[in-house]
Amino acid sequence: MSQSGTLQLPDAHGYLDRVIGELRAIEAPHKNTLVNVLEYLSGHIRATRSEIGALRSGSGNSQMFSTTTDELEEIVTETARATNRIMDAAEAVEKVAATLEPGPANALMDATTNIYEASAFQDITGQRITKIVRALQSLEEKLAALASAFGPLDETFVANAPEGDAALLNGPQMEKTAASQTDIDALFASLG
Amino acid sequence: MSLNKNMRVVIVDDYTTMLRILRNLLRQLEINNVEEASDGDTAYHLLQKNPPDLVISDWNMAPVTGLDLLKRVRADAKLKHIPFIMVTAESKTENVIAAKQAGVSNYIVKPFNADTLRAKIASVFPAMV
Repeated sequence: MSQSGTLQLPDAHGYLDRVIGELRAIEAPHKNTLVNVLEYLSGHIRATRSEIGALRSGSGNSQMFSTTTDELEEIVTETARATNRIMDAAEAVEKVAATLEPGPANALMDATTNIYEASAFQDITGQRITKIVRALQSLEEKLAALASAFGPLDETFVANAPEGDAALLNGPQMEKTAASQTDIDALFASLG
Repeated sequence: MSLNKNMRVVIVDDYTTMLRILRNLLRQLEINNVEEASDGDTAYHLLQKNPPDLVISDWNMAPVTGLDLLKRVRADAKLKHIPFIMVTAESKTENVIAAKQAGVSNYIVKPFNADTLRAKIASVFPAMV
């Protein structure tokens, strides 16, 4: 209990454990049913606190969310880059088309129009991914608020981090941290 | 239908790729006098400086949205007569109603094709059709 007499969330399972102990000490018919229910609640609160602790640990919540957000933003950047390269090519074709006879010129012009129209996918996917990023950020804030409501926790939970060869699967690398082909060649050569 | 090839158009979108798509499609409609803005605020200042014949704007931009821009244009005595086409992925009924109430001239849903663009431009200049 707090000084004001209100039961705080971090105290809840300790409080339940004390009540369970007191109930066990008294003689009362049917007390076992109530004790079982309270033990279930106490165990459930303990497990929830443990899970929240895992989310707050270094290998959990914030890193997971920021990495996911970065990955999504990288998708937007990569697709924009690819789209612009496609349009570079289409514009080059359009310039050549202008020098041709009407028949092939019109055919090429129609083809480039189709390319421009199809390139709009990048705008649509970009907007959808932005919405997902915002949803993730909102979820992260709500989890942080939930973790805060549970008070100080034992953050002893270790996330199920991949081990062995599975731990090597982290690609594709983010552009800002990725090694270039030159870096790879140098590393490869240095390994003999 | 034929379009006025000499018209001056301001296109507004925060995705540079979409600006490029719009510019290319307009060029294929032989509309070459095109200026770009990447947000509503920049566009509004561009319009005030030199009112165009047509505005084609995205909706979802920050901090000044396409709807905000439309409202500013319609509230500005110098600009309120300019045809304004919204090109957006916002396709809910309430969006179209809000844009219509704000005075949009026509509404194109992304993704769109060149024929739709041509038809909507023609629709806001009925005398030219």
